[in-house]
Amino acid sequence: MKGARTGIIASTLALCLMSGAALAQELRVTVWTGSEAHLKMLNGIAEPFIAKHPGVTVKFETVPVADYTQKLTFQVAGGNPPDAAWMMEDAAPAFENAGLLMDIGPTVKAAEGYDFADFSQPAMALWQNGETVYGIPFSTSPFMIYYNKDMFDKAGLEDPLALAAKGEWDMKKFQEVSKKLVEANPGKWAFEFKDGEGYASRMTHAVLPPIRAYGGEMWADGQCGFDKPEAVAAVQQLHDMVFKDKTIVPPGEQGDYFSGNSAMTVNQISRASKMPEAGFKWGIAPLPTGPGGEAPVIGQAALVVFEQGKNKQLAADLVAQMTTKENVAIMAQFFPPARKSVLESDAFINSNKLVPADQMKSIAAAIVNGRVHPAHEKVPQIFAAMAPKMDALWKPDANVEEALKGVCAAIQPLL
Amino acid sequence: MDLSRPETTARNDRAPWLTLKTREMLEAWLFVSPTVIGFLIFFLGPLVAVVYFSMTEWNLLSQKATFVGLDNFNDTLFKNPDFWHVVRNSVVFAIGLVPLNMALALTLALALSRPFFGVVFFRTVFFAPVITSAIAWAIVWKFLLQGEGGVINQMLALVGITGPNWLREPNWAMAAVIVTRVIKMVGLNMILYIAALQAVPRDYEEAARLEGASRWQVFTMVIWPLLAPTTLVILVITTIGSFKVFDHIYQMTGGGPENGTLVLAFYIYQQGFKFFNVGYAAALAMIMFVIVMALTLIQVWIRRRGTQ
Amino acid sequence: MTRRQIDIIYRTCWTLALLIVAIPFVFPFLWMVSAGFKSTTEIFGTPSLLPRVWRYENFIEVFTYQPFARQYFNSLYIAIAVTVLTLIISSLAGYALARMRFAGAGLLMLFLVSALMVPEEVTIIPNFFLIRSLGLIDTHWPLILLPTFGPHGVMATFLMRQYFLALPRELEDAGRMDGLSRIGIWWRIALPMSRPALAAVAIITFLFSWNLFLEPLIFLSSLEMFTLPLALSNFNDSYGLPLWNLQLAATTLAVLPILIVYLIAQRQITESFALSGVKG
Repeated sequence: MKGARTGIIASTLALCLMSGAALAQELRVTVWTGSEAHLKMLNGIAEPFIAKHPGVTVKFETVPVADYTQKLTFQVAGGNPPDAAWMMEDAAPAFENAGLLMDIGPTVKAAEGYDFADFSQPAMALWQNGETVYGIPFSTSPFMIYYNKDMFDKAGLEDPLALAAKGEWDMKKFQEVSKKLVEANPGKWAFEFKDGEGYASRMTHAVLPPIRAYGGEMWADGQCGFDKPEAVAAVQQLHDMVFKDKTIVPPGEQGDYFSGNSAMTVNQISRASKMPEAGFKWGIAPLPTGPGGEAPVIGQAALVVFEQGKNKQLAADLVAQMTTKENVAIMAQFFPPARKSVLESDAFINSNKLVPADQMKSIAAAIVNGRVHPAHEKVPQIFAAMAPKMDALWKPDANVEEALKGVCAAIQPLL
Repeated sequence: MDLSRPETTARNDRAPWLTLKTREMLEAWLFVSPTVIGFLIFFLGPLVAVVYFSMTEWNLLSQKATFVGLDNFNDTLFKNPDFWHVVRNSVVFAIGLVPLNMALALTLALALSRPFFGVVFFRTVFFAPVITSAIAWAIVWKFLLQGEGGVINQMLALVGITGPNWLREPNWAMAAVIVTRVIKMVGLNMILYIAALQAVPRDYEEAARLEGASRWQVFTMVIWPLLAPTTLVILVITTIGSFKVFDHIYQMTGGGPENGTLVLAFYIYQQGFKFFNVGYAAALAMIMFVIVMALTLIQVWIRRRGTQ
Repeated sequence: MTRRQIDIIYRTCWTLALLIVAIPFVFPFLWMVSAGFKSTTEIFGTPSLLPRVWRYENFIEVFTYQPFARQYFNSLYIAIAVTVLTLIISSLAGYALARMRFAGAGLLMLFLVSALMVPEEVTIIPNFFLIRSLGLIDTHWPLILLPTFGPHGVMATFLMRQYFLALPRELEDAGRMDGLSRIGIWWRIALPMSRPALAAVAIITFLFSWNLFLEPLIFLSSLEMFTLPLALSNFNDSYGLPLWNLQLAATTLAVLPILIVYLIAQRQITESFALSGVKG
């Protein structure tokens, strides 16, 4: 009796714990999406591969995006690396330098009909070192302005897309329009930083597009750029908009664009899937230009294979298979491609049911011209050193130039 | 122990080669063996290992480790201004939390140690946050303490006070974390004080009252000295607890703003698991260990001297 | 005024003061439940105690954005496993330390006592490498093993030992006369007499495991392995966007059952914590 009870408890426990264990010949691919539509597409792409390799299965494992890189690190450092994974741009240098990523160049270049040269060169910059290829970008997603057409109409304003078409959509116009939007829509905001996280996890995404529009950069070649005149002017404008004009959602406030509380925000095309439920007319436009000209910013993610994986050659084959022309075209419905042939195709311009062709064209242009967020091996440390200084910046009485000097003082030793 | 107890012959027949004492000893070690083995593997071993870790430069990501002797301690104590800022934060947190927590706990316990109408209700209410997860508690308070839209500030506005942007100002954020932590944990100390107060014989108090002592005098002359052992236990538990606080900070402020709530436990996590400096984090862990041990010993020593 | 009147005034004042002090203890719970039914817009809008529009669907959507049911189950079975293991192991060791004389007992006690003072953060880094070398990263094993054998387990052992020390010896002696072995005495006599202590250990251990955060944060990476506190701390959609109202609905779902059990058994539960504090 006693034994039976213990037995039951023990076996239940064992069962529960077993469910986490891996099966043999299962390729694990870590991804950050939990969306059913995304996973269905990924599994569909993997199907022919499984058919070709009997006894092999492919499992896409969701790791939440908020702590994605950190959790991926735990998997790798924990001796339990996946075979392949999605990797964000800011994590790439650290993983490359630690020797964790496999050179998949030979595999993809040898794959039948792959046409490696089809990938746009700027898009490959982060993932290639001479002949060595560490990853294949599957998503090269430009930052775009999302706008609430209803709120623009209410203020009697031309929307950003129309302004951009006339060549008038610049940083100055952005500030003017914002003031009018707030006047016409009391209780609402004109602009929300990316995902409402501009003072927290996306602090660099908040300042990077304007800094580039003014012709500056956050850092380049080991030199901090925050204290350069271009960056100071750009951030000064944002600071004015937050605290003087009161048009940008300030720290500690919520002004969610997707629930109609802000007229504009910056985000990537994947968020278009949230729009049908938003309940207002909307559109996508390029980022405002500035004294520095056009400055598209792209966020990038690539498929990588881990050096310590148990089936790394097989995983490299899978990556090659997932990034063929056909499959990149399929993925383009969610993830903007880096293959020139796909970008130029009509199929891509018409691939997103939610976004009209003229808006898709500006997206395609942004991909070709865009630059990724500056990368660095020590990004986590840089961000941690930067965060307290950015907190000091986003205060009503802050001296922007002094605050940005503080940012540089904090991060320069790490660059 | 009771060694004069008669043993049955049957038991001795089963193991004639063992003396009574050895047999008892073997059995006892069998009883404690799961605890001892687990303790060695998951506690003592790691505690020893952390000493070695602290003398390495060890990158979690590349898994490369080199022995660097005392460099980590040298860096921490003499070269890293962040470290002293973190220690200061931890000390401020403890100095803010411990007295507030204990004073409130004692006051509530004094009010609730005797039965009256509603006593169960109040005890239940004050203890409820203790059983709630710190994450859940911090999630809710983070909403309540939002800038202008937050409930707390809207309530303050009703009485004409403009509340600060609590979690965006370093000093207010520290205050907010301390106070919400006190509200979360004070129930535990309250219960401990109530248990101690109920053990105080009523005669003492009544005798003192009959002699004309005021309530305050009864408290200072009679009750407070009797509570001394409990106060020491609570002081030690609460102080250690204040240095351990992690989940609350993680969820409410993430160490910010301007590193204003970056405390030691969070800094260890950040260095080790966010920046992958495992060796450096281990050195910080050693320092934390020494601080907590020292505080505990000091408290016990003061109390010993006080009672002698 | 008579003494009686003074007494009444005195009491009323105290009760009023207590009611005011009670506000920050109760209000977060009320707000949490209410906000769980609100839309995000309403949460950040003008505050109101009750939702203007009751969004019951929040509580359904909680299960679609994350494998919340699975995470709930994880927390539950891990807490049960930790509780059962801790009960067995701590009562065995506690019994030996209370009733049996053996060489090394003093030293063992000293070691165990010292463990009570060491924060988990101190040993977490070596433990990460230990768990890694055992190949148990992203499994639930570390969440079961570390609490059972760490400082919390030691505290449980002391609690059991203290209780056993206070038990009368006669019954055990009688059992011995009947030819019961030590393990028999432990199981048939000592344990049944220690129900209050066992209940106390069970309650505090369950809650300790249920609310554990640092260990899950470090050892778990897959969404379907998450435990509740970890799931709650980052309640995002698949793009990493925070789902404020769903986070509050999920928090309500995680907190409310525990709170209800507490309201039913509040005496038992507070006494358990009192025991652990005093004896530990």
